[in-house]
Amino acid sequence: MLIFRILLAVIILLGTIKGREYFVYVTSESQDEVHLIKFDGNNGKIIKDIPVGVWPLEIEGPHGITVSPNGKYWYLSLAHGFPYGHVYKYETGTDKLIDRVELGLFPATMQISNATGLLYVVNFNLHGEHEPSTISIVDPEEMIEVNRIETGIMPHGSRITNDGLKQYSVAMMSGTLYELDVLQFEISRTLFTGTSKHKHMTHSIGSMKHRNMKSHKMPKEKPTWVYPHPNDKYLYVVNNGIDNVVEIDLNKWAISRKFNTDKGPYNCEVSLNGKYLVITYKSAGKTGVWDLKSGIELARIKNTRRVTHGVVISPDSKYAFVSVEGIRGEPGSVDIIDLENLILVDHIEVGKQAGGIAFWKMSD
Amino acid sequence: MNKLKLNILYAFLLLVNINLTASDNDSLYFQFEPDSVNLEIGDSIKIKVSLLKKDGSLSKNQFLLTGEWRSVEVKPWISNSDGIANVQLKVFKPGSFNLNASSITDDRFKRVRGNLSIFVPAPPIEKVGFIDPPSTAYEKTRIKFLAKVLDKAGVSRNDIKPTFESSNNSIASFDDFGNLSIKQRGRVQLSVSISNQRNKVIFSEINLRIFRNPVRKIELSMNEGSYRTGDVITFNALAKTASGKEITDVPIEFSFTGEANYGIGLPASGVVTPNGKFVAENPGEYTIYATSSGYTSSLTVKIKPRNIQKRAELIGHGLITDVFTSDLWVWQGVDEFSDRDFAVTGTWEANGEAYFWEVTDPSNLVIIDTVTVDARTVNDVKVSADGRIGVITREGASSRKNGVVILDVSDPYNVKILSEFNDGLTGGVHNAFIYENHVFAVNNGRKYDIINISDPTKPWRVNSYELNTPGHSIHDVWIENGIAYSSNWSDGVHVVDIGGLQFSEENRYTIMNNPILQSAGKGSVRSPVLMTSKHDTTGRNHAAFPFLSESTGSFYVIAGDEHFPFGLGEIQNKEPANPRGGYHFLNMNDYKNPVEEAIYQVPEAGSHNLWVQGDTLYTAFYQGGLRVVDISGELLGDLYKQGREIAFYLSNHPEGRIPNATMVWGPQPYKSYIFFADMNSGLYAVKLVNFEDNED
Repeated sequence: MLIFRILLAVIILLGTIKGREYFVYVTSESQDEVHLIKFDGNNGKIIKDIPVGVWPLEIEGPHGITVSPNGKYWYLSLAHGFPYGHVYKYETGTDKLIDRVELGLFPATMQISNATGLLYVVNFNLHGEHEPSTISIVDPEEMIEVNRIETGIMPHGSRITNDGLKQYSVAMMSGTLYELDVLQFEISRTLFTGTSKHKHMTHSIGSMKHRNMKSHKMPKEKPTWVYPHPNDKYLYVVNNGIDNVVEIDLNKWAISRKFNTDKGPYNCEVSLNGKYLVITYKSAGKTGVWDLKSGIELARIKNTRRVTHGVVISPDSKYAFVSVEGIRGEPGSVDIIDLENLILVDHIEVGKQAGGIAFWKMSD
Repeated sequence: MNKLKLNILYAFLLLVNINLTASDNDSLYFQFEPDSVNLEIGDSIKIKVSLLKKDGSLSKNQFLLTGEWRSVEVKPWISNSDGIANVQLKVFKPGSFNLNASSITDDRFKRVRGNLSIFVPAPPIEKVGFIDPPSTAYEKTRIKFLAKVLDKAGVSRNDIKPTFESSNNSIASFDDFGNLSIKQRGRVQLSVSISNQRNKVIFSEINLRIFRNPVRKIELSMNEGSYRTGDVITFNALAKTASGKEITDVPIEFSFTGEANYGIGLPASGVVTPNGKFVAENPGEYTIYATSSGYTSSLTVKIKPRNIQKRAELIGHGLITDVFTSDLWVWQGVDEFSDRDFAVTGTWEANGEAYFWEVTDPSNLVIIDTVTVDARTVNDVKVSADGRIGVITREGASSRKNGVVILDVSDPYNVKILSEFNDGLTGGVHNAFIYENHVFAVNNGRKYDIINISDPTKPWRVNSYELNTPGHSIHDVWIENGIAYSSNWSDGVHVVDIGGLQFSEENRYTIMNNPILQSAGKGSVRSPVLMTSKHDTTGRNHAAFPFLSESTGSFYVIAGDEHFPFGLGEIQNKEPANPRGGYHFLNMNDYKNPVEEAIYQVPEAGSHNLWVQGDTLYTAFYQGGLRVVDISGELLGDLYKQGREIAFYLSNHPEGRIPNATMVWGPQPYKSYIFFADMNSGLYAVKLVNFEDNED
């Protein structure tokens, strides 16, 4: 009995020492690879490199990545095709390719709605003419596109509220936030993302006549990302062009707060406990951690490479995993930030141009 | 009811339903009424979809309905609050589809899905008919009949095999392939038919009158000569009456037998065309037969080995192992460097570097300068014909603003960046070409932009050339004599007049010898004009190179494949790749109707870039190394099998980026050497020597 107790104590102790493990997928856009990363609370490492794409001598550009709400699959957007990009479906764990579907030009960020189970993908059309692009709605079971909704120029940052009812994206070259009703498959509201002049564009998309907008003046806001607060009452829109993040009150459909950031904010995410807003500063090569309640930037942490890209926060709100691109042949990295102690815990070298990043699971 | 109210209602219903679903979804199932549908394109049908509990009562749970975009239209997409949807379904494409239903719930583990299968057949066949059938024929002959099948949408249906029938098989009878064997004189009615989806027979008939066959002999002739493997021999067959009158409208069929010289045991193989052109693949004795009307004539020819093989001797090698090497360009220096030769090579998935080499002494290839730009891949490198301006392409720039970089290469020891041009080219430039103060840059795989570099410090876009086919994509463009030859994957080769040579005493022979140039001159860089194109059914068209045969005067475009059939990850895993593909010789003598006449492909290797000088093809065959091919004379059939390969060089290097793995990217013949780049091991210079020559 004593031996049993000792063994039990050792097991518990080892379990405590071992701690929680976090698993994150990250893309290398200029290397056509996805890496699976494991972090044990102290150290992170790549546990798998997954080559993606079908054309060995063309860089197809894995950009957006998301894990299905049930954790069984991960979805990857490959920006470049002939000429249209695709979303690929892989099984988590085995990382086996299941299927793919062709979408629009440069499909980028995406998320599955908790309410409908459908996948909403923005067709960024980053390199095309300045013309309105679309959101593709995909049935991720059958991997078929079921609808396509026109929005603005260079839509990016497709994120969905926790109740799964609204999808938000920002059109970088239209300076506009779009709210998509995931049940009605139509744009329900739009909002100018700048603070210099509020343009409440509440008319329906059908009346916008984008195709007639021959000469297009680029907005200085250039919003690149949007993320909903876990309470579904606020949104955070990153204005990459004017170095701020604005908070949108969803009830009032208006900007309620503004956070002035370092140079070139790009992505952001709010921790599930609602406490932290983590913003990547692409031009500055840093990551900002903000206290959402006070609106104060708690820390500005220098990243290990020069081009800070995406961020995902663990569901326990303890760690932010930040993808950082590097330049030319420099490897990308994933920087892991301890949000409670506001320090860089570890970084992991990954492939070139680390971009899309998605949380898979935690295990005790 | 306005939209706001609707949304409030939906939100309310959703909340109600979410709770319901979470509690008792295990017993829910979808019911579709009707439970199966067959529709034709354009048809609509009303479908009732219900989400029911196990006991058959309504679930009171809302659900979504979806179908494949642009194939199946579903209205409305959402059910009512009771869990019923009366949807209007409309189909737009043939195929098998589903109407998918899924419950709306915040508990993803309890989401219920159901689907209704929809089959939409291809449009019914509307018309079938013979293609250019004869109305008369001779007894004791055989004629091939062709048919065209059109569906209701007007699409030619090659997937449908029609049935050929004769009204009197004792006079003339068809085989399964449309060949009519004519046995005796008389009149027959010939029909071609198919049964459409409704078991309705659609057919077309013609009358054929069969005459007595006056042919009593076949005379077969050829030009006497000494023939080698790969030489095309034209046999002339004349059908004549007993009195010697020629009958020109009687079909004559050609065939051959042969016995190969025993070398390594290859068979007597070759090709004979319906119009009597014959080419042998192996040395030996071949007998060619011309047959018609029960008469046959034959001639036997001796085919000798082509005996053109040489040895590619390594002269120099510049080893690069830390990055993959991409394309190359070799040129003669200018001004104080005019007595020297230089090369530039790109790098692939690396540091954004281009290496400049002095190659005056090909046995001593030395990097003399490096240009570094913000990119991962410098895929293509080109230098202007006057040797002063270079262009390198960028992919994977950290700013995501790729485009091209214009260089001053007049002093290759100190190459200067003159300008960058990425306006509208941010998606990446894979290939480029310089022609008469313009850069032709392949823009994000969608089109090529034409950029004026008269002032290379201030480049500006003149125009673009883009196809208008659905989902088009372009890989490369090559310019010669004011004609752009682009390679466009499944859209194949496009030949575009961007300012074809203007007639002058100097250009006279160049234009007169080239059927494309004879009709060119209407286009310009401001207004490119498509002259012809050739679709690629395999979708592998990766390169296009013009070739005017010096020995025959025929004009070809050589269309190169790129094909990686064996999956992903070879290069990423540092394992040798295993591509396939070949070069297709498209005869453009009648340029509006290009005809593929010959192919060169190395078995179990993959084609990449190519160059033609004189009547010699220089090819990069990836893992198959450098290949030098004799393409003189008329071209027909499988050139590889005809002993036309002059030389090869396998650039496998033990210290290569992937050790001992050949992966040749591109060749360029230059002066008396052949330079080529190998992805794994850098720049090479080889020279062709006779086999009896010593190594030294």
